[in-house]
Amino acid sequence: MNAFFMQSKAEILRILRNPYYVFWSLAMPIVFYVIFTRVFNTGIDGQQEWQAHYLMSMTAFSVMGSAIMTLGIRLVEERAQGWSKFMKITPLTDTAYFFAKMVGQTVIHTFSIIVIFTAGAVINGVALTPAEWLMCGLWILAGSFPFLALGTLIGTMKKVDTAAGVSNVIYMLLAVCGGMWMPLETMPSFLQSIGIWLPSYNFGNGAWQIVQGNAPELANWLLLAGYLFLFVVLSNYVRRNQEAAV
Amino acid sequence: MNEIICLKDVTKTFKDKKAVDGVSFSIRQGEVAAILGPNGAGKTTTLSMMLGLLQPSSGTVKVLGENPNSRKVREKIGAMLQEVSVIDALTVKEVIQLFRSYYPEPLSFEELVNLSGLKEYELKKRAEKLSGGQKRRLSFALAMAGDPEVLFFDEPTVGMDIHSRKIFWQTVHLLKNRGKTIIFTTHYLQEADDTAERIILFHNGRLIEDGSPAEIKAKLTRKSVSFRKTEAINIKGLENLPHIQKVSVKGGRVHLETDDTDAVLSSLYKLNGFWKDIQVDSGRLEDAFEQLTEEKEAV
Repeated sequence: MNAFFMQSKAEILRILRNPYYVFWSLAMPIVFYVIFTRVFNTGIDGQQEWQAHYLMSMTAFSVMGSAIMTLGIRLVEERAQGWSKFMKITPLTDTAYFFAKMVGQTVIHTFSIIVIFTAGAVINGVALTPAEWLMCGLWILAGSFPFLALGTLIGTMKKVDTAAGVSNVIYMLLAVCGGMWMPLETMPSFLQSIGIWLPSYNFGNGAWQIVQGNAPELANWLLLAGYLFLFVVLSNYVRRNQEAAV
Repeated sequence: MNEIICLKDVTKTFKDKKAVDGVSFSIRQGEVAAILGPNGAGKTTTLSMMLGLLQPSSGTVKVLGENPNSRKVREKIGAMLQEVSVIDALTVKEVIQLFRSYYPEPLSFEELVNLSGLKEYELKKRAEKLSGGQKRRLSFALAMAGDPEVLFFDEPTVGMDIHSRKIFWQTVHLLKNRGKTIIFTTHYLQEADDTAERIILFHNGRLIEDGSPAEIKAKLTRKSVSFRKTEAINIKGLENLPHIQKVSVKGGRVHLETDDTDAVLSSLYKLNGFWKDIQVDSGRLEDAFEQLTEEKEAV
């Protein structure tokens, strides 16, 4: 148990010390938030609603990014550098190692959520009820699981450069097409019809619904659960094939 | 004495190539054994199977009587792999403490620092920023973290300077005196000869010799007596003398290869007259090692 605790702590420290995390998952979303709520889109109808909506977009954008990129690229790095192989000699089991990573990521996601929510409250005075803040936070935390699974799928790649490139493209496509940068309603209809099926849209939409006083839609739950299942199965399948090849 | 490691008819095939071919040996508690061989002999593959990192294609590998992958085994072994890899974004101290937490009875932090020779200022450095030598010291500390009974070192001194090498082997002696079982691979004959009580010689995936350095030396080295000839003599005739295995002429000197230089000398004295400037060469293990591996390659 001590080993698991120490491992989780180590994973948290490693992410916090990663400049990419600080830049992509904290600084970037907050800068975007300022640009799209203070510089552009000011003086529009439903200003407050937009500020709350876009705060959720950026928080979801941030958490999705660290789930896919931080986790995925790190997994590839650890394997490429022989660290994962070395860990196999220690008594720490693969399962404990994996779950320590998940715990570490979840703690980091909680931290990102708190930081970005606070930024929204400070910058625009976004005022939600305590229950709404909490529900949004929990939704984003739970909704990050399919993206963590996608991260482990990216983590099966062989080269760090490939993993970084591929995960960047996936991340940006998901963010843009899922309506995280610009609401889906402002996009051409063919993009909208694709967008509503993406995990990113369903991830964001749950939180967008909550800030409007609704509950996440059933489709959001179902699709995220489906993507989680799909990515877990795929990444297990790929990993098992790789292990069998040795 | 207890058998710590036991390999039976172990073969490992990668695609079509046999990296390890029908190897059997066992290592007893407290032994210091060197797996010696040229590059590509199958040393690292064998070690990886003992560590449970590779599964044998056929045959069995047991460590402490169990499958090398079992948790019980992992708690009692430590290893330094050939490619030293370090976790990033953690300081040396943090990595060592993390590794200590994996084991039921770890060595104290201070003792690990002492054993590995890590300096105070190095402990605060990020592991990925260490130099090659410092990384080696860290990986040694990590190998020792759980106070292991069995230690595996894969080509431990590659990339070390002479001073670090000396300190490393001194530490190995210290560990040996504490009763640890130590297995290391090397392609430096001298290291195997100086440190190991036993040499397991590999070539082309096969175990070709197994014994104490002295036994291996006796088997491998060719002693010889050489002299300058003063008159034309029948070289062929010398071949009939007792204990002579081979006669050759190099640069005006006649070389008599033998297993008993004393006997050859006494025969030569009896014959008397045609020789001058006799030299006895006890044979260098390096030459023998080279010869042996070359010979086997030629076969």
